[in-house]
Amino acid sequence: MDFDTTVKTAIYETIAETGSVPDAGHVAATIQAPVQEVQAAFERLQQKRLLLLEPGDPSRIRMAPPFSGVPTSFLVHARGRGYYANCVWDAYGVAAALHCDAVIDASDGHTGEPMILEIRGGQPVPVPGVAHFAVPAAKWWDDLIFT
Amino acid sequence: MLLFRSGETVKAWCAARGLPVRPLISLDQLWILAETWYENRLTPDSRRPKPDEMVGIFASIGLTGPFWDPTSDQW
Repeated sequence: MDFDTTVKTAIYETIAETGSVPDAGHVAATIQAPVQEVQAAFERLQQKRLLLLEPGDPSRIRMAPPFSGVPTSFLVHARGRGYYANCVWDAYGVAAALHCDAVIDASDGHTGEPMILEIRGGQPVPVPGVAHFAVPAAKWWDDLIFT
Repeated sequence: MLLFRSGETVKAWCAARGLPVRPLISLDQLWILAETWYENRLTPDSRRPKPDEMVGIFASIGLTGPFWDPTSDQW
């Protein structure tokens, strides 16, 4: 396994086990590598659009899709833990990535009305709701936080 | 990508920001997207779909046209 894959795997293993997105120092300690090398791997993984680093602090991960490194309005309850997702697509994506049932605390993007989504037995439980993609696919990474 | 209770609240959100209403995706469609995109994300050899693969994934659930083409400059 190459170094970048080792770093990526460590990131996702930590998230799955803890619900928290690790920073470069945590990953360096986990895989016993210099933090500077881990941070360089973070940059390369961002160039491959596998991570989005925190603006102004490349030692921290803002997004390891579908997981968010910061609290959002999409909190996924699964495996007895809470995982923040970047958007409604990623909220379902957390359940898909973890291969488990999930209950998602969400809200209407305009009114803020609380909404609950659920994945049970590999399928979404039917509820009223739609997803809206405001940004065309070609522009998603221009401002991924807005997307 | 935001969640809305209905198309009406999508319209209100877009109007408040001066943005056009874009395609609405059902939650069943969204789950298929999520599974296709992320089901292997925790494995070492996972990767982001390539542009032509993305177009195919979207088309498989009926999402076609330049809005869903990551290489398009017209939407």
